[in-house]
Amino acid sequence: MPEGGVRTAVRMARAAGTAMAVTLRNLFRTPVTVHYPRVTRPYPERFRGVLALTYDPETGEENCIGCRLCEFICPPQVIKVEMLKAEKRNYAKLFTLELYACEFCELCVQVCPTDAIVMLRTFDLATTDRRELLLDKDRLHALGRQFPPSWATGTGLRAMQAPPARGGAKGEAAKDAAE
Amino acid sequence: MTTPARTVVEYGYGGNERLVMNMGPQHPSAHGVFRMILTLEGETIVGVDPVIGYLHRCHEKLGETLTYVQYPSIASKTDYVSAMTAELCYVRAAEQLGQIDVPKRAQYLRVLAAELQRVASHCLWLGTWCMDMGGALGGGATMFLYCFREREMILDLFEALTGARLLYGFHQVGGTRYDIPAGWADKCRETIAHVEGRLGEYEALLEGNTIFLVRTQGVGVISPALAQEVGVSGPLLRGSGFSHDLRRVEPYSSYEDFAFDVPVETAGDCHARYRVRMQEFRQAIRIVRQALDGLPAGPISSRPGVKSIGQVKLPKGETYARVESARGEVGIYLVSDGSTKPYRMKWRGASFSNLAVAGHILPGHKIADAVAILGSIDPVFGEVDR
Amino acid sequence: MTDLLWTVGPPFLLLNGVLIFVTYLTLLERKFAARLQSRVGPYEVGRPHGWLQPIADAVKLLLKEDIVPAAADRAVYNLAPIVFLVPAFLMYAAIPFARGWALADLEIGLVFVLAVSSLEVVGLFMCGWGSNNKYALLSAMRAVNQIISYEVPFILVALVPVVLTGSLRLSTIVDAQQGLLGWFVFYPGLGQLAFVAFVILALASENRIPFDIVEAESELVAGFRVEYSGMKFALIQLAEFVHLFGVACLGTLLFLGGWLGPGPAALGPIWFVLKALVLFLVVVWVRWSFIRIRVDQILALSWKVFLPASVVLLLAAGAVVAAGGGAGA
Repeated sequence: MPEGGVRTAVRMARAAGTAMAVTLRNLFRTPVTVHYPRVTRPYPERFRGVLALTYDPETGEENCIGCRLCEFICPPQVIKVEMLKAEKRNYAKLFTLELYACEFCELCVQVCPTDAIVMLRTFDLATTDRRELLLDKDRLHALGRQFPPSWATGTGLRAMQAPPARGGAKGEAAKDAAE
Repeated sequence: MTTPARTVVEYGYGGNERLVMNMGPQHPSAHGVFRMILTLEGETIVGVDPVIGYLHRCHEKLGETLTYVQYPSIASKTDYVSAMTAELCYVRAAEQLGQIDVPKRAQYLRVLAAELQRVASHCLWLGTWCMDMGGALGGGATMFLYCFREREMILDLFEALTGARLLYGFHQVGGTRYDIPAGWADKCRETIAHVEGRLGEYEALLEGNTIFLVRTQGVGVISPALAQEVGVSGPLLRGSGFSHDLRRVEPYSSYEDFAFDVPVETAGDCHARYRVRMQEFRQAIRIVRQALDGLPAGPISSRPGVKSIGQVKLPKGETYARVESARGEVGIYLVSDGSTKPYRMKWRGASFSNLAVAGHILPGHKIADAVAILGSIDPVFGEVDR
Repeated sequence: MTDLLWTVGPPFLLLNGVLIFVTYLTLLERKFAARLQSRVGPYEVGRPHGWLQPIADAVKLLLKEDIVPAAADRAVYNLAPIVFLVPAFLMYAAIPFARGWALADLEIGLVFVLAVSSLEVVGLFMCGWGSNNKYALLSAMRAVNQIISYEVPFILVALVPVVLTGSLRLSTIVDAQQGLLGWFVFYPGLGQLAFVAFVILALASENRIPFDIVEAESELVAGFRVEYSGMKFALIQLAEFVHLFGVACLGTLLFLGGWLGPGPAALGPIWFVLKALVLFLVVVWVRWSFIRIRVDQILALSWKVFLPASVVLLLAAGAVVAAGGGAGA
């Protein structure tokens, strides 16, 4: 056999051997599969999952004042709110969120002045009927009670982004929020 | 070279033993929805008629109806594989037009995000390219799963940072929306050290592999003249000998503070582009380490956080801003009429210009090369069709 | 009556045994491939290790609609899977699983096995032609090209143990490999080269990666089988695996000492199956480690590299025997 041929053959064999050695090494590594749904991976604190409406922990009242800021900012316009005026504060008479069109961008959470709307650390609402994904106010409140919320609230996000005021007080808040 | 016009009947024979075959929008290796009407002579391609537009979602019109605070989350959906740089391009255009400063920490965070995204995007490129060349049920799939295993780790990092894995909404006009949480820097260092180690494994699987070399060397050569004529950018340009990287040519977002090399290869074939991207992996990791080490304290945005839809108003004018994404030069031409929404917003998609070169270099190659070449061009059809 | 039983019984048992065994080989391939890729393979069906997966697949394929393309050549289309399947099973008729355990231990056993396995290409081409589909036709033509080009070196390399032994009978070839170091794979120089060449050429003649340009999922989307669904598809898949295992058995007989192994002679078939499984796993391992070679490169490789190499190997084997080496009479 020609000299070059033998050397090429040896080089090819060595390259093939290296490739197969890599695959063999992976044979003995633990698989990375997570056996969902029996096992779920830990979702991080800031996980942007399904949306929900919250209650005030002290008074038990709904946080939402029906200001419609979330409705205006939503890029795909999935939120519809109707305000109900009352004596001390306003409420939302109607609050629907079309989860099947939601982009999960967290802008509604960002603008909410009362931290009423939050995202939860779950995404698992798979269903066979799309109408179940049209979340109305009761459903949103029920979800808020059912699943743990993620870290992000309106005030938290805005504090994280706010540049330090000239006194430095807001800067402290921003640093704390960043911790 | 004449390409058949669109009115030619597809399932017909064009004389001369030529076969007109459709490599249709649904195809395991079309990298998205892309249609090529190939004219074949035996196994050799003699004509290509590419058809795009299957993923058109009216991004530029959306840009006119959504305001500057709403659109960054949507911008990530153009180049969804390299979402951070797409968003970065849009907010940079807005900041350039409005002369808005970005604090140093935000700039470093942007660099961090962009470079991590480059690593993740190249992981996806390598995996899908090998899968196209090797078969969805073969050695290619092995490479695909390895690359995705590493990409998932980087996506976990992004998830801890922003809460989302693919489409982030990380940027806003004036800075970024999220700051890094506690413990993230250490996790980031761990992850990129791990990815760097695995890079060595990928190269071992591919580098000396004769099959790989024989399928990529000399295949899909983009000559320097063609590269300039068609207007390709990114690894395609650097694989043909031009040392052109926007991070060097027009440094943005504090890239001048970082030390990194710009890999250049002269061969212009698929193998050269592969080598360029593999070196970009390592350079990106290098930049991430520098960014983590040198991350300054400070605010992450020069404007208060978004509180209302009309918060950002830009003066009248027009500007063009561009960034170096994993695919090449992504640019936005923004025309503002003084309101809270752009008057006109045009995306310069890197993949759109890169894909145009396919019609020039495919003829003369075999069908098997078509997938190798398309993979090495690395198109993302969100960017092509918008 | 007992005569009838003795005539029909063993082939019946063999066919069904091979059928069930090969069905579970698909599961083995999937689990092994998964582990090579840092994941678990089939897991849910028949928890916890997917033991019922092959049966679930078979049931699913049985229940699928049998679609025949309108413009297909019906006779060819319907006959093709059968023509593809029968030679694969026929191979096993001449393969001895242990001393005396062959349906037909022919004097020309090797020739029969090789000849019958070469008939596969006819079935393959019928599949591609009968489908009336450009992709299928392209793939079928590539297949004919490739398989015919690789048959010649394959046969030449398979003849190396024959030359060393001096007989074409498969059980004689195994008997000539007594003792652990007597296996032909351990024959100095010649054995290793011939074995490696045999494995590579076997991959090529069965359309396995790195030579699977025939199916090339990412280009031709299943190639010649693209129009087949349901049970016909199942038959084609089965035929491929049966053929693959058959070639693995052949490799065991020729190079790995067949049923020879420590322990009593009754363990013979078990050693045989274990060795064939090892060869099968090597083939799977190669499949999941490499990308495919382009078709013109495959043909160039066959005619410019493997054919001369196999001729040289055969001549070397002849020279060794002429110089007094070799094994067996």
